[in-house]
Amino acid sequence: MKKKLFSVLLAGTMVLSLAACGSGGSDEGGSGGDSGSDEGGSSGGDKLVVWTWDPAFNIPAIEEAGKIYKDTVNDKFELEVVETLSDDCETKLQTCAESGDFGTMPDIVLMQDNSYQKFVSFYPEAFSDLTDSGIDFSQFAEGKLSYSTVDGKNYGVPFDNGAVVSCYRTDILKEAGYTIADITDIDWDKFIEIGKVVKEKTGKYMLSGQANSQDIVMMMLQSAGASLFNEDGTPNLVGNDPLNECIDIYQKMVKEGIFYEVNEWDEYVSSITNEQCAGTINGNWIMATIMGMEDTAGMWEITNMPKLVKTADATNYSNNGGSSWYVTSNCKNTELAFDFLAKTFAGSEDLYSNILPTTGAIGTWGPAGESEAYQAPQAFWNDQPIYSTIVEYAEKTPTNNTSAYYYDVREVISTAIQDIMTGGNADDILEQAQADAEFYYQ
Amino acid sequence: MEQKKKGMTLIAKQKAAGWAFLTPATLMIAVMSFYPMIRAFILSLQTGKGTNYRFTGFSNYARMFQDRVFIRSVGNTFFYLAIQVPIMLVLAILLAQLLNNKDLRFKGLFRTCVFLPCATSLVSYAIIFRFLFAQDGLVNNALVKLGILSQGYNFLGTAWSAKMVIIIALVWRWTGYNMVFYLAGLQNIEYSVYEAAKIDGANGWKTFWGITVPLLKPTIIMTFIMSINGTLQLFDESVNLTNGGPANSTITMSHYIYNTCFLRAPNFGYGSAMAFFVFIIVAVLAFINLKVGDTRD
Repeated sequence: MKKKLFSVLLAGTMVLSLAACGSGGSDEGGSGGDSGSDEGGSSGGDKLVVWTWDPAFNIPAIEEAGKIYKDTVNDKFELEVVETLSDDCETKLQTCAESGDFGTMPDIVLMQDNSYQKFVSFYPEAFSDLTDSGIDFSQFAEGKLSYSTVDGKNYGVPFDNGAVVSCYRTDILKEAGYTIADITDIDWDKFIEIGKVVKEKTGKYMLSGQANSQDIVMMMLQSAGASLFNEDGTPNLVGNDPLNECIDIYQKMVKEGIFYEVNEWDEYVSSITNEQCAGTINGNWIMATIMGMEDTAGMWEITNMPKLVKTADATNYSNNGGSSWYVTSNCKNTELAFDFLAKTFAGSEDLYSNILPTTGAIGTWGPAGESEAYQAPQAFWNDQPIYSTIVEYAEKTPTNNTSAYYYDVREVISTAIQDIMTGGNADDILEQAQADAEFYYQ
Repeated sequence: MEQKKKGMTLIAKQKAAGWAFLTPATLMIAVMSFYPMIRAFILSLQTGKGTNYRFTGFSNYARMFQDRVFIRSVGNTFFYLAIQVPIMLVLAILLAQLLNNKDLRFKGLFRTCVFLPCATSLVSYAIIFRFLFAQDGLVNNALVKLGILSQGYNFLGTAWSAKMVIIIALVWRWTGYNMVFYLAGLQNIEYSVYEAAKIDGANGWKTFWGITVPLLKPTIIMTFIMSINGTLQLFDESVNLTNGGPANSTITMSHYIYNTCFLRAPNFGYGSAMAFFVFIIVAVLAFINLKVGDTRD
């Protein structure tokens, strides 16, 4: 009897003590998932709460900005960074907006450029208008500003650009008999040729990527100024010649065994870090991940991406990703938030040169590009002056049409490409994809 | 007269006490469950961009039947239902039978082992299965090392194998859970019944079909309904294991509803309509199941 009583007491204590930490503990299943970061925007004072996601990239950047602001402007300033995945930021924002309660939002949130149009067109009430906030927007690249501008009003302070770079392991290329010059300014036909040799001689893939969220095809499209959209933002998937060419190239790369298809982001990252691939083509923010592989320092070099063969206006330059800072409507002390952004991301050369060596974040703020830090050769990248190179790439990148439904249509085309790869009739599938995409617009 | 002045009669008092005990729970269910259900139904009749909703009648319900991805998700969910639930329940009942053996040693240990998967979080076990079946994961490594495959097979990137992985994961996770119900049911069957059967010359197989199954019928029906219900609302595995891929070939209804509301350009009205559709299917299936299993003729 005593034993029973004792075990009941023990179990009871356990349940109670676990229940007590329920607010901070994790929630089983997919329904909750909001634990741990319930604190919303600050209640005024000198504190700002920021949501951002990459511990190798934008988190150190905002922390540095906080430090600079504290040192130079306001020594009582406090910055709290809550690491929140980009997808989670969006889901949370969407939930808040639907319920009409922004109380759990932070003061400042970083958001992908391609998502922002969706949010501002669906939930304009979630963001603060920065047009008259005292931030000087004329110093930012115009193409970049267009992502965060709606009806002539500025909503965001641009952060990093997503100019595409091709990063290659020179040691692997050398083993196959190539140098970085051999894959600079080439087209995809030549790239596939080189890729086949690399695969044959080293057993390594040339590239890797997620099959279910096409990045490479989107980059190829933009490199020729093409996209999945018409000028008015409606989907353009049927009879889109550049798209057809991109799909052909993609298919060829997978079939020839030079493109390694993975299912999740972490597999993509590990395909690079496990040296399964000779390189990768992505927005320059991927370099932060690559620089995490310290033992490969000096073996990497960057160059531009291959260009399309059949499409007119094809270039070797494109864009993928990039993000901007937004002030939410939950921010109580907007003056502080505006001032903070104006004096850091829109006004501090020091900030951009300080974050460069650790994160490789290339700003889109004009004066930053002129700083000396950008010209310096980088040891990790075999002494290439990569940052000025990337700024140069960014300037040559063609613009293209986008839409509030960017990710929806990208998902549709990713699905269509997977269907084509498993042996369907490409015309029928694209026809169906167009119908599917239009369906989402209803 | 005197009595009435005193207040309620004994029966009335008892009734009042009954209502008093019922009220809190009833209120809670009404507020936490029924009210959201009604709101969801109202929402399902509306469409709109952002938060500007307007009533559009049953257009969301009509939309569902033109939505290829939704139809695919219904197909996938019923595929899981048709394959996974029977396998799981048969395995569970066999395991229960084995572990109910009087002469078995270390019974507790074995029972714990079978039940243990149930104690893992849905998200973490799904992610672990994803790692196991990744192209450079444990399963592929083992198959390559054993010489069965020359290079890793893309289990989660191929439609049929991705479905199989989900089914394997579900069976692993839920068999023990159902087994516990059968064990409890088996322990309620008098051993003398089995002895009588033995004396009459019935072999193990005959005993199983002649005694165990009929006497376990209520438990079997219960686990069946619970499994159907659970499978139709399958979410975590689809999200975390395969992310619905490749090409939506493993996406479940709940996962698609979630995508519609939270990942895509938001459409909560349509999402609610699909959720109601799932609700109706579950209700109908449960009703049929109860009728079929009803022994009172």
